[in-house]
Amino acid sequence: MTAGKRILGAAIGALLIGSVSAQADTIKVGIIGPFSGPFALQGKNFQAGVEAYMALNGKTAKGHTIEVIYRDLPAANPAQSRALAQELVVKEKVQYLGGVYFTPDAMAITPLLAQANTPLVIFNAATSAIMNTSPLVVRTSFTTAQTTTPLGKVAIDEGVKKAITIVSDYGPGVDAENAFKKAFEAAGGQVVEAIRMPMNTTDFSPIMQRVRDSGAGGLFAFLPSGPPTLGFTKAYNETGLKKAGIKFYAPGDLTQESDLPALGEAAEGLKTSFHYAVSHDSPENKKFVEAATKAIGGADQLSFPSVGAYDGMHVIYKMIEATDGKQDAQKAVDAVKGLSWTSPRGPVRIEPDTRHITQNIYLREVAKGSDGKLINKEVQTFPNQKDPGLATQ
Amino acid sequence: MQTLVQTGAVTKVHSVRRPWLRDVIGILAIVIAGAVGYWLFPDNLALLTRIIAVALLVLSIDLIVGYCGVATLGQAALFGAGAYAAGIACVNGVTEPMTLIAIGGTAGAVAGLLMGTIMLRAHGLAQLVLSIAIVQLFHEAANKASSITGGSDGLAGLMISPLFGIFEFDLWGKTAYLMGLALLLLVFIALKFVVSSPFGMLCRGIKQDPLRIRAMGAFVFPVLLKMFVISGAVAGMGGALAAISTQVVGLDSVSFELSANALVMLVLGGLGTLYGALIGTVIFMGFEHVVSSINPFHWMTMVGALLIAVVLAAPGGLSSLVEKVRGEKA
Amino acid sequence: MQTIFSIGIDALAFGMVLFIICIGLSLTMGLMRVVNLAHGAFAMIAGYIASYAARDLGLGYAVAIFLAIIGTIVISIPLERFLYRRIYGSPELTQVLMTIGITFCVIGITNYFFGPTLKTIPLPQALSQPVDLGFRTIAAHRLFVIACGAVVAGGLWYLIERTSFGIKLRATVDNAAMSDALGVRTQVVYAISFAIAIGLAALGGVVGAEFLPIEPYYALRYMVMFLVVVSVGGAGSILGAVIACLVLGLVDTTGRYLMPDFGNFFFYAAVILIVCLFPRGFFGRAQ
Repeated sequence: MTAGKRILGAAIGALLIGSVSAQADTIKVGIIGPFSGPFALQGKNFQAGVEAYMALNGKTAKGHTIEVIYRDLPAANPAQSRALAQELVVKEKVQYLGGVYFTPDAMAITPLLAQANTPLVIFNAATSAIMNTSPLVVRTSFTTAQTTTPLGKVAIDEGVKKAITIVSDYGPGVDAENAFKKAFEAAGGQVVEAIRMPMNTTDFSPIMQRVRDSGAGGLFAFLPSGPPTLGFTKAYNETGLKKAGIKFYAPGDLTQESDLPALGEAAEGLKTSFHYAVSHDSPENKKFVEAATKAIGGADQLSFPSVGAYDGMHVIYKMIEATDGKQDAQKAVDAVKGLSWTSPRGPVRIEPDTRHITQNIYLREVAKGSDGKLINKEVQTFPNQKDPGLATQ
Repeated sequence: MQTLVQTGAVTKVHSVRRPWLRDVIGILAIVIAGAVGYWLFPDNLALLTRIIAVALLVLSIDLIVGYCGVATLGQAALFGAGAYAAGIACVNGVTEPMTLIAIGGTAGAVAGLLMGTIMLRAHGLAQLVLSIAIVQLFHEAANKASSITGGSDGLAGLMISPLFGIFEFDLWGKTAYLMGLALLLLVFIALKFVVSSPFGMLCRGIKQDPLRIRAMGAFVFPVLLKMFVISGAVAGMGGALAAISTQVVGLDSVSFELSANALVMLVLGGLGTLYGALIGTVIFMGFEHVVSSINPFHWMTMVGALLIAVVLAAPGGLSSLVEKVRGEKA
Repeated sequence: MQTIFSIGIDALAFGMVLFIICIGLSLTMGLMRVVNLAHGAFAMIAGYIASYAARDLGLGYAVAIFLAIIGTIVISIPLERFLYRRIYGSPELTQVLMTIGITFCVIGITNYFFGPTLKTIPLPQALSQPVDLGFRTIAAHRLFVIACGAVVAGGLWYLIERTSFGIKLRATVDNAAMSDALGVRTQVVYAISFAIAIGLAALGGVVGAEFLPIEPYYALRYMVMFLVVVSVGGAGSILGAVIACLVLGLVDTTGRYLMPDFGNFFFYAAVILIVCLFPRGFFGRAQ
C-alpha cells in the first residue's frame, strides 16, 4: 500500500509540475533511449551528445528555454516504446521527440506523430524503411545500407574476388548482408556464401572454420556493437584467418571506439566503414569531443550514437527557431528539409525528399593513435553518400 | 481514495465467512481501482493499458504455477502467440478489435495445448527448462519467419477499426484502456468461477499431492492440460490486447525476459489467489515506471532492492501481507 | 577429417568453459537446494576484480585470478549471512525472487561505479598465442580452459567423495535435521559449500571472460544458458554437469558449423529431447 501511495504521490507531483512549467516559455524535448540494461552505453552516448550540444550552443533557441526529458527503454520493446512516447506527448507535453535506438521502437512511435503534432528526430535506429512510415520523421544517424555499400568496392580494389558474408540474424544484419552483396557483385565480385548466425552466439570458432572451408578471400561481417564483437574479432585472429590473409570488412558498429580498449591488439588493422570516427580531424569535432567527454565522464566511453544525438539536437534547435516555439510539426519538419551544416563527422545535409541525412562515409583502419590508444584512423573518404536503401524504393 | 481503501478493508473483515461476498468485493475493488486509474492518470493510459495486458499474462501464469504447481519460465510463448495471431490477422484485413481478441485467445489456447503436451512430460527443474526451451524456439521461429512476422523489426502498421464502429484507438488511449479493463474484469470473473469449480479444486489437489489424486482415480495429465489451454487463452488475449493497443508486435512479446519478468511479478504479488497476480503486476510495473522516470540510468538497483525487501518482509508475496493484516484484525 | 577434429576441439573448449562457470551453480542448486540466479552476478564481480587487478594494477594473471576468487568470496559472505540464510529451505520461487533482486542490484551498482563498457582481463603472453595442433591452430587460452575444467572436475569429485567434509556435506544434503542431531554443524557446512560455489563462479567468470566478456549485463545475459546446462546435467552431479556441458557444447558447435542459420533451433531442440529422455537430467538425484 505504501508503494501505491508513493506512486500516487509522485504522479500527482509530476502533474502539478507539468501544469506549472507549461505556462512558462519552456519547450520540452522527450528523448527515448536505452539508458539502462544491455545497451546502457549507447543510451549514455545519446545523453552525452545532447548535453554536449546544449553546453556548446546554450539552453535556449530563439529565446525559448529547452528542457530535455529522458525516458529509459532498455531493449527493443515496441509496446513500451509507444507507451513512453504517448506519455511524453500527452502528460509531459513535449513538442519534440528524439532518440530511439532500435528500429521496432521507432516503428511503434511513428503512427502517433500526426495525431500528436510532434516531429520525431531519430538519433540512431538504422533501418531504411522507418522514413516511409510517417512524413514527420527526420533521421540524423545513418542506415546500415549507407555505411555498408562503399565496402563492396573497397574489397574489389584490394583484390578480393570471392567473399563470404556473416551477419547476426536480425533486421539490420540482413540489411547489411543485402547491401554488401549488391555493392560487391555490382563491382564484379562474388559472394560465395551468406551465413546468418543467431544473435546470442558467443563462440565463433565454428563459423570461422566455415569461412576457411569456403575458400573466400575476404569476409564481410555485421554484428550489433557490444560484447559479441569481442569474441568475433578474437576468433578471427585465433583461428588463423588473419594470418592466412583472409581480409576482414565490416561496418563500424564492430569497432566502435568504446569497444576498442577491450578488443585490444586483436583489432589492429581491421578495416571498417562508418559515418563517424571519434578521431575525425576537424575543429568542429575537437570541440564536440571535448564537450561530450565531459558529459559522459570518460573518453573511453564515447561512441557513434553521441554524434547522432548531437546533430539530432541541432535539427531540433533549428525546428524550434523556425516555428518560434509554436507546436507545428509539419512546419518544423519542412524547415529542416534541405538543411545543411558542418557536423563533427563532416559536411551533412537533410535530404528534402527522404528526410534522411546525407553524409561522408569513411573507410577506417584500427591503428594506434599518437597517444598509443587504439583509434579508427580514417584512410579513405566516400563523399556525400545518400541512403541507397531509400533510393531504391 | 483514502476513505475508499479503508471502507474496502473494513467490509472485507466482515465478509471472511462468506467467500462469494468476498469475491464480489474483490471484483468491485478492481472496478474502483480501474476507474480511479482512469480519473487520476488520464495522461498515462498507455502505461495502464500495458499493465492490464501484462496482468492478463501474469494471471495466466498464476493458473498453472499457483493452482497446478507447474513451474514455467516460458509463458510469453502463449502471450506472443496471441499477439502475433492478432497482429497477422489485422494486417490481413481483420480489423475488428473484439474479433482480434478472440483470435488472440484462440491462438494462445492452441499454443497452450502444444506447450502443455510437451511440458507435462517432465517435473520440477526439467519442466522449467522445457518451458525456457519452448519460448526460445517460439522466439527463433518468429524471428525466422520475418516475411510474416516482421522479424526483429517488428510487425508494424496494424490499423484497428474503431470499437463498435464508434470509438477510435487513438493517441490518448481511452478506448484501449476501457476495453482492456472490461476484458480484464470479464476474464477475472470467469477465472474465479474456474478456480472454485470442481475442476479448479482438482487442480489444487494435484498441486498438493498428485499421487493421492491418482489413487482417487482421477487422470492428472488431461486435467493439467485443460488448465494449460485455459491459461493459454488468457495469455493470448493479453497478447492481442497489447497488439491492439500499441498497433505493433515485437519479438519482445515472445521473449524469455518477458516470461521471467511476469513470473517475478506473480511471485511478488503472491501465488494462487488471482488477486496476487494483479497486485504484483501493478506494484512491479508502477514502481518500475516511477523509478525509471526519476532516474532513467540507475533504476535497476531500486527494483532489485524492492524484490529483496519483499522476500524479507513477506516471503509469501504481497497478497499474503494483506491476509496477515486481515487475520490479525479478525 | 580435419574438420571433424577441429569441431571436436572447439566443442571441448566451449563445453569446458560452460562447465567451469556452471558447476558452482549446480552445487548450490543440487546440494544446497538454492536456485541461485545471482550466480552469474558473482562470476561478473570476479571478472571486474580480475580486470582491475590485471589491467589497472598491472598484476599477473595468476595473481588476478587468486584475488578475484578471494575478493568475490569476501563480498559474498555478508550476502550469505544476511540474505541467503533467509531463503535456505524456502520455496524455489521465493528464492528466484530474492536472487533476481540481488542480480538487479549488482547490475545497477556495477553500472554506476564501473560504467557500461566492456572490461578485459589481459592474458599473459604464453596464453594469448595461437598454438599449432598440426591440423589447425587454436588459442593457447582454450587449452588452458580445458585443463582448468579437468582440474576442477577432478578436485570436486575428490572433495565430495573422498574427504570427511564431503561426507558431512552429503549427510547434510540428505537429511539436515538428522545430521545436525549427530553433531554436524550444518550452518558451517552450508557456509563453506556456498563459499566453494562462489569461488567456482569466480574462477569461471575470470577464465571464461574470453568467451563471455565482462560487462554489467553479464549477470542476466547468460542466466538462461547456465540454468539450462545445470538442469540438463542434473543439479548437484559433477559427472552429469561434465556430460551435459560436453554434449551441449558439441550440439551447439556442430549446429553452428553445419547450419549456422538454425543454430538456436538445434540447441533447444536438443535440450527438449534430452529433458524428455532424462526427466531428472543426466545424473539428477531423485526428488
